[in-house]
Amino acid sequence: MPPVNLRPDLWTFHRDGTERVDSEHGEHGGYDGYRGHSGHSGYGGYGGYGGGARVVDGLRFAVRALVYTVVGGIALIAIVTVASVLGPTFAMDLYTPAVAAWWTVFTAIVVQGVPFLLLGTLVSAAIGAFVPEKVFTRLLPRNQALAVPIAGAAGVVLPGCECASVPVAGSLMRRGVAPAAALAFLLSAPAINPVVLVATSIAFPGQPQMVLGRLVASLATAVVMGWLWARFGRGKWLPRPRAGGGGSSGPGWRGFLPGLQYDFLHAGGFLVLGAGAAATFNIVVPRSVLDLFTGSPWLSVLLLAVLAVVLCVCSEADAFVAASLSGFSPTARLAFMVVGPMVDLKLIALQAGTFGRSFAVRFSSVTWVVAVASSVVVGWWLL
Amino acid sequence: MRRYGGAVLLLLTGGAVLRISLFSELYLRYVQAGLRPYLVVSGVVLVVLGAVAVVAQRRGAEGHDGHDDDGGDDGHGHDGDDGHNHGHSHSHSHSHGHGYGPPVAWLLTLPALALLLFPPPALGSYSADREAAQRAAQGVGTFPALPAGDPLELTVGEFGSRAIFDSGRSLKGRTLRLTGFVTHGDDGAWYVTRLLVSCCAADASAGKVEIRDADAPVTDTWVTVTGTWVPKGELGSDAAWPPVLAAESVKKVAEPSNPYEKR
Repeated sequence: MPPVNLRPDLWTFHRDGTERVDSEHGEHGGYDGYRGHSGHSGYGGYGGYGGGARVVDGLRFAVRALVYTVVGGIALIAIVTVASVLGPTFAMDLYTPAVAAWWTVFTAIVVQGVPFLLLGTLVSAAIGAFVPEKVFTRLLPRNQALAVPIAGAAGVVLPGCECASVPVAGSLMRRGVAPAAALAFLLSAPAINPVVLVATSIAFPGQPQMVLGRLVASLATAVVMGWLWARFGRGKWLPRPRAGGGGSSGPGWRGFLPGLQYDFLHAGGFLVLGAGAAATFNIVVPRSVLDLFTGSPWLSVLLLAVLAVVLCVCSEADAFVAASLSGFSPTARLAFMVVGPMVDLKLIALQAGTFGRSFAVRFSSVTWVVAVASSVVVGWWLL
Repeated sequence: MRRYGGAVLLLLTGGAVLRISLFSELYLRYVQAGLRPYLVVSGVVLVVLGAVAVVAQRRGAEGHDGHDDDGGDDGHGHDGDDGHNHGHSHSHSHSHGHGYGPPVAWLLTLPALALLLFPPPALGSYSADREAAQRAAQGVGTFPALPAGDPLELTVGEFGSRAIFDSGRSLKGRTLRLTGFVTHGDDGAWYVTRLLVSCCAADASAGKVEIRDADAPVTDTWVTVTGTWVPKGELGSDAAWPPVLAAESVKKVAEPSNPYEKR
């Protein structure tokens, strides 16, 4: 609610501009300040005129406040009444065990994702604000074919799950890292960092080849995808470094905080979207359906690769889920762990938010195919 | 409101995270105990970010007032200068989409308000019935000796794996105590069930123990059952599943703060 302004320079500005000017005032930057100032020099002398305007403004404010209160109050009373009368019966009908379970799974995915998303946006905002562009151009070879495997292997350093890697990859691109290299990093980081590899070795005790297989297959997928992008990718599939990108809003602290805030809110919204989709699949498709497909080795690989997409299990936990899918071949479980951190509903939503929908769809579908192929090859070789 | 949208969302999300992790143990309904420190830290960071955003917006707005007012005395002039800088950072971020909150961010209100107002319940018999109870993937072998205790508290998962895979038969002759919620089978059997979670509630799978020699409580009641193990089937075979406990006593209990077992 705009306060009634008693300062002459501002009320003259009111007469000059639209009536909502004061509520917008902070957002317009220096330009309005300038206009307000010139308004001041133009009208400043007409005290009487200004006094009348002040009363009118005050009246208008009071009337508006009264109308809002009355309308809002009536609406609120109506809603509360209806809700308290119909609520219990509706709630009993709508709040079935399935709906309750949906809410729980939905909230659980969001709660699980928030710390990692925050970590990712912290890193990405820090890159945007504090790391000069030339650092990356110096660190990474100019030759994309060489830069891709290096960026892929660099994924080791970002501990966290896939929620963290999307904003980081986005800010790397804005900092001038070649998209092919940034994408290789995006794919490898959630799959091959130490936390995930340790979790995998705990989930598969006495099977170090599973950890190795996961490392090799994930890295191979990331590098192949980077090379594919370098060879066939088109710049127009990626949005231009958008104004909305947040993290690049300026060097130092002044850019860091708004960038962090924007990135987190943006990615958080898409995390919620993905969590909703994942919870829906979780509730609609019972996992016991899977037992029907355990017979054929080929079908089971494809099935678990699809399951990884719809279940959206965090990459730090998916090894435990894979271990519990005991009816499936090791290769199928490897595919589950390779596909999961690279392609899932939550991730597609996050990518669509950061890189645009047309990119996310193309990129995710190709990644899925490459990841399945790479896990089949590695599984055949190692497991 | 629109101006403070981003700040409100951050405060709401941070508040929701703190409400379930710092001010209560509700987070255990959704994620593993180990995530608590990270949740508390992220909650605090989000609240601080939100507060900073509110302050920045206010100072930004005042800064413009001060800037307009630069004909004033020296002190004011200084304020105006300060505000001018803030105004700059604002016009910067303004060029980055409207204010701070991209529209999709408003989706965050869904889980945040749910957690603040009606925290969703822990998963129960509905999810347990849907997930085919899974046996821990492991082979037959010897287990470390059970600790002393009479009765001995065991998790449903531990009981299941020892009952089915322990060639040392460590459960034999012990009085055991299990806690879980009640589920019913098709054939009149009833089970003490616990959901096993490795990361968050989305990956829950069920572990269950058939209870004999006691009347079945209502589905989803939390009970503590004391009794002895009834061997059945060949070790490691399908016939050994689900494990059986002959009950001596069945006591209703409140839902434990951590409704899940770690897988």
